[in-house]
Amino acid sequence: MGGVLTIVLKRLGLGLFTLFIISVLIFGAVELLPGDIAEAVLGQGATKENVQAMREALGLDKAAPVRYFEWLAGAVTGNFGVSLISQSPVTEVIAPRFANTLFLASYAAVIAVPIAILLGVVVALFRDTLFDRVANVLTLTSISSPEFFLGYVLILYLGVKTGMFPSIATLNDNMTFLELLHRTFLPALTMVLVVVAHMMRMTRASIIALLASPYIEMARLKGTPGWKVIVKHALPNAWAPIINVVALNLAYLITGVVLVEVVFVYPGIGQLLVDAVTKRDFPVVQACCLIFAATFILLNLAADVGAILTNPRLRHPK
Amino acid sequence: MTGKKKDVLLDIKDLRIEGYSDEKWIEIVHGVDLTLHRGEVMGLIGESGAGKSTIGLAAMGFARDGCRISGGSIEFDGMELTTTSEADRRALRGARIAYVAQSAAASFNPAHKLIDQHTEAPVHYRMRKRLESQEDAMELYERLRLPNPRDIGFRYPHQVSGGQLQRAMTAMAMACRPDLIIFDEPTTALDVTTQIEVLAAIRDIVDQFNTAAIYITHDLAVVAQMADVIKVLLKGDEVEEADTETMLKSPKEDYTKSLWAVRSFQREQKSRPTGDAVPVVSVQEIDASYGPTKVLDNVSFDVYAGMTVAVVGESGSGKSTTARVITGLLPPDKGKILMNGEEMPPSYKQRSKEELRKAQMIYQMADTALNPKVRICDIIGRPAQFYGGLKGGALKSRVDELLDLIELEPSQYYSRFPPELSGGQKQRIGIARALAADPTFIICDEVTSALDQLVAEGILKLLDRLQKELNLAYMFITHDLATVRSIADEVVVMKQGKVVEQGPKDVMFTPPHHPYTDLLLSSVPEMDPNWLTTLLEERGVDNVGEAADV
Amino acid sequence: MNYFVIGYYALLIGASCTAAHFQSRKAFLLLFSLTLVSFIVGIVGGESALWTITVFAGVIALCVGTSFAFREFLVIVGWGEFSKAMKTAPLTASFGLFIIGTYAIAGVFSPIIAPYGEAEIITSAFAPADENLLLGADQLGRDMFSRLVYGARNTVGLALVATILAFLMGAIGGLVAATTGGWLDQFMGRVVDVIMSVPSLIFALLLLSIFGTGVTVLIIVIAIIYSPRVFRLTRAVAGNVVVMDFIEAARLRGEGMWYLVRREILPNSTAPLIAEFGLEFCFVFLLVAGLSFLGLGIQPPTADWGSMVRENATLISFGEITPLFPAGAIALLTVAVNFVVDWMLFRSSGLKG
Repeated sequence: MGGVLTIVLKRLGLGLFTLFIISVLIFGAVELLPGDIAEAVLGQGATKENVQAMREALGLDKAAPVRYFEWLAGAVTGNFGVSLISQSPVTEVIAPRFANTLFLASYAAVIAVPIAILLGVVVALFRDTLFDRVANVLTLTSISSPEFFLGYVLILYLGVKTGMFPSIATLNDNMTFLELLHRTFLPALTMVLVVVAHMMRMTRASIIALLASPYIEMARLKGTPGWKVIVKHALPNAWAPIINVVALNLAYLITGVVLVEVVFVYPGIGQLLVDAVTKRDFPVVQACCLIFAATFILLNLAADVGAILTNPRLRHPK
Repeated sequence: MTGKKKDVLLDIKDLRIEGYSDEKWIEIVHGVDLTLHRGEVMGLIGESGAGKSTIGLAAMGFARDGCRISGGSIEFDGMELTTTSEADRRALRGARIAYVAQSAAASFNPAHKLIDQHTEAPVHYRMRKRLESQEDAMELYERLRLPNPRDIGFRYPHQVSGGQLQRAMTAMAMACRPDLIIFDEPTTALDVTTQIEVLAAIRDIVDQFNTAAIYITHDLAVVAQMADVIKVLLKGDEVEEADTETMLKSPKEDYTKSLWAVRSFQREQKSRPTGDAVPVVSVQEIDASYGPTKVLDNVSFDVYAGMTVAVVGESGSGKSTTARVITGLLPPDKGKILMNGEEMPPSYKQRSKEELRKAQMIYQMADTALNPKVRICDIIGRPAQFYGGLKGGALKSRVDELLDLIELEPSQYYSRFPPELSGGQKQRIGIARALAADPTFIICDEVTSALDQLVAEGILKLLDRLQKELNLAYMFITHDLATVRSIADEVVVMKQGKVVEQGPKDVMFTPPHHPYTDLLLSSVPEMDPNWLTTLLEERGVDNVGEAADV
Repeated sequence: MNYFVIGYYALLIGASCTAAHFQSRKAFLLLFSLTLVSFIVGIVGGESALWTITVFAGVIALCVGTSFAFREFLVIVGWGEFSKAMKTAPLTASFGLFIIGTYAIAGVFSPIIAPYGEAEIITSAFAPADENLLLGADQLGRDMFSRLVYGARNTVGLALVATILAFLMGAIGGLVAATTGGWLDQFMGRVVDVIMSVPSLIFALLLLSIFGTGVTVLIIVIAIIYSPRVFRLTRAVAGNVVVMDFIEAARLRGEGMWYLVRREILPNSTAPLIAEFGLEFCFVFLLVAGLSFLGLGIQPPTADWGSMVRENATLISFGEITPLFPAGAIALLTVAVNFVVDWMLFRSSGLKG
């Protein structure tokens, strides 16, 4: 197992390093502003005194590397500074919204992952039949549609016309869990549609690649029945690609959520980010980007580590 | 190979198989008959595209994706496989008919231990309990002379070497004591010394259990050792069938005769020029490594004008690396390369156009050696244009001249693309490209090993003729001693990055040899059906595996 | 029960029986399962649900018919290889080509096709559709149809330019990296890894928040974000070609890098690269649409599909489908491109094997 541990540690190290570079990028990007934050935010009409006061408040007189490490140290301990617009600590603004986003993403994931993998395997087994072709057209259509198109179609038919689900997913504190599920069903369904399509296609491709390998033919030639070929011979080798598919799509969920939140007016971190971008509230933008990037990198990392751990060649070294 | 009973086990009549390509079904096996008796071993031989594997699989009632059995009957022990249900057919596989694939490394599931894959079929068919079946596996491993027969099964496929895997797969095929085993080129991917062990093991076990077998291969000498009856196939048709003795001694059909005659080509051996002639290429005390691994250790030899030096060795011996060092792709750690007495810069990047021009290379895989998207005239024309500065009419007539030289009609091939050509034609284009540079020295890297034997012989003859006409020096990299015998003047034997022995061919082929050369030479299968038996007796049966570790 | 419902079932069952009679298994299964589904849907959703199914079936039949006719048209009009390829093309591919062609015409000739200017206010806000206003008016009283047509020029044009830029950067980088190898290759690979480890939409938002939302900025930002994808693919495709013996032969001949790339590597990488261009366009197009939807893309009054969706979104709550037109226009083009790419990928994989 020593070999595997080294590989996993190496991969973790690489992930951390990437995260570090990303944090430099996110911080550095704001430094690229013509002038500086104070000028950019206050605009051309601001007096010199105002700009100076803001510079001091933000500590802009210090050198950029010093400020970077202060920011990073803050970020690691959960302190992202103060919002330029609302003047409240960024963490306070983000925390509840991040929780909401995670809820929505997990809601969608819980529905999407099992359906997608099951359908992906089924489609792979029935490949080149009419069923497969129809599934291919449907998934392609779903992938090709922008999230807001699917979202509005769902609102129109399931929200407005039939009235089965609320078309706006605003939340309040005294909702029961069931109400919550009902209220957020349409945004979750929108994401489910896109993610299922992606995952089905990826699952199908990896299963088909797997079924073409000589050891599957060998298993058939040993008289192993069809279901057993899948369960015993294909599945143990399919974990790596499936874990990969799941992790990549969860990562997608985290970012795809931005558009969906805007469509359904859902109080998540994505909508916060979009607001902050239009209002040029840089501390919030930086914090949101860092959180999104970190989640994304983490999930990709999980995919790679999962693939390493399920690889028999690495698990049982010579 | 004794104790033949005369009752029919497998009876195939007028078998037709179609393959799906370019949106339509095309017949690839055109009505083949095959009758196999209990305990009999039939060799199916043919060149690539003969339909050997397809017929082998059809004997199990199985067709690969994109293939279908379109006609005829397959009767196994009284059961008609083309009309029975898939479930009944499946119940035969593994239990009564087993399969041994060409690449054991790819055909064992990487996720399970060998023994678990072994026990799968017997447990599934309720022939044995799991533990009994494991015991049985160990016994079979022992019979097949696998090292550590009691432990080796608990390893994963990637932890076991190729030759051992192939034997483990044979053991797995034996697990249910089937009536029939299909061996699909089981030794093609192995080195000669390893091949012997596997061949001996397979033959013994088939003999011991009186199992019938269909042995598919393209290697005549191999099939001569294994089979009672030989059937020759060509492009999905049967050419002829006879028992091994008759087939080897007096084949009836012209095609079979030509197959048999291939190995007789042998050109006159030349000796080194006397006096103070300078070798065209002189490799002097070369050490080379890939990263930290040393792959060449003090390698030296000379190649003189008009002569062929064959560099022989098994995979991993460093023979191809030597070629990379000479061409400058891999700068050596130590030592020098001289051409006509002048030292060459170690890397090809530092060599002048003129230095690059003199040494050319012909590759093993003509498919990857020719750019599929470039016309023949441009492939051959480019070196002439690049080095000789030829243009327009001069270039065209040079290309025509080169095509004539390699015996391809210029008007017909001038503007075609490589994928439209056959394997042998592609290899000829590769030769023409090398000649276009007007070289003095050509490296031939396994140029015939990817080709069918008849085609390969044509290439060898062509190379020989060109050598005489143009006074070329060849370095022939090969693992095939038959090729060495037919074309070499001098032989260099390599093993694990070192030159084991070198000298003129006649000296090298007459005893006494260095032990490794001896092992290599004696391991090459010969057409004599008793060759394997005799060899095993000479070596002492138990020595088969150990001999390789000399 | 009324005549529509009776006719509906009679037609379906009759068609199923005909299919069964002619031993057409696929058609029968399709028709009969549709009948069964209709029973359930009809009971749950009533007549209106059956109407929806009929409309859907009609639209699909129309699409299939168009695709079929267009394929025959291309087979006859097309030349050489293309005509031959079209003969075996699936209907989805010819549908895709048809849609792409329509969009191209709409984009190129938009001033001629559109009855009104893109920023021209001609009536009251949200005026309903009539003879003059094919699709009604938007929130400022501009003609929806005209704006849709202009959108084909603006939105698709922007996405196309950004894709071409991303593609040039990525492909050239990838080819150079694959041919030279060594530390340059390693370095470029690392940079690309870092860029790709940030989700593209988030990256775009970050950069746009800093540099503002001009068209030039938008194009450059998108090109930077998407070129790594192209780089990776080109690097992989070219990497497979570079290990071939014919490249080694050319190197040993003393050929320079430019010759290697142009004559040896590129001709063997075109098929996957063209397919990748299509895929890349889809990603870029969806990103552009998403950004405009968020109000960060092309700025008003220029007609742009993404922002048109957002501006008219309120209509949805009144049960109007107007905002779905621009959104559907985006989806339709992406689907069309994906269909064509799918076919090309299938062809190139089929030819290899």
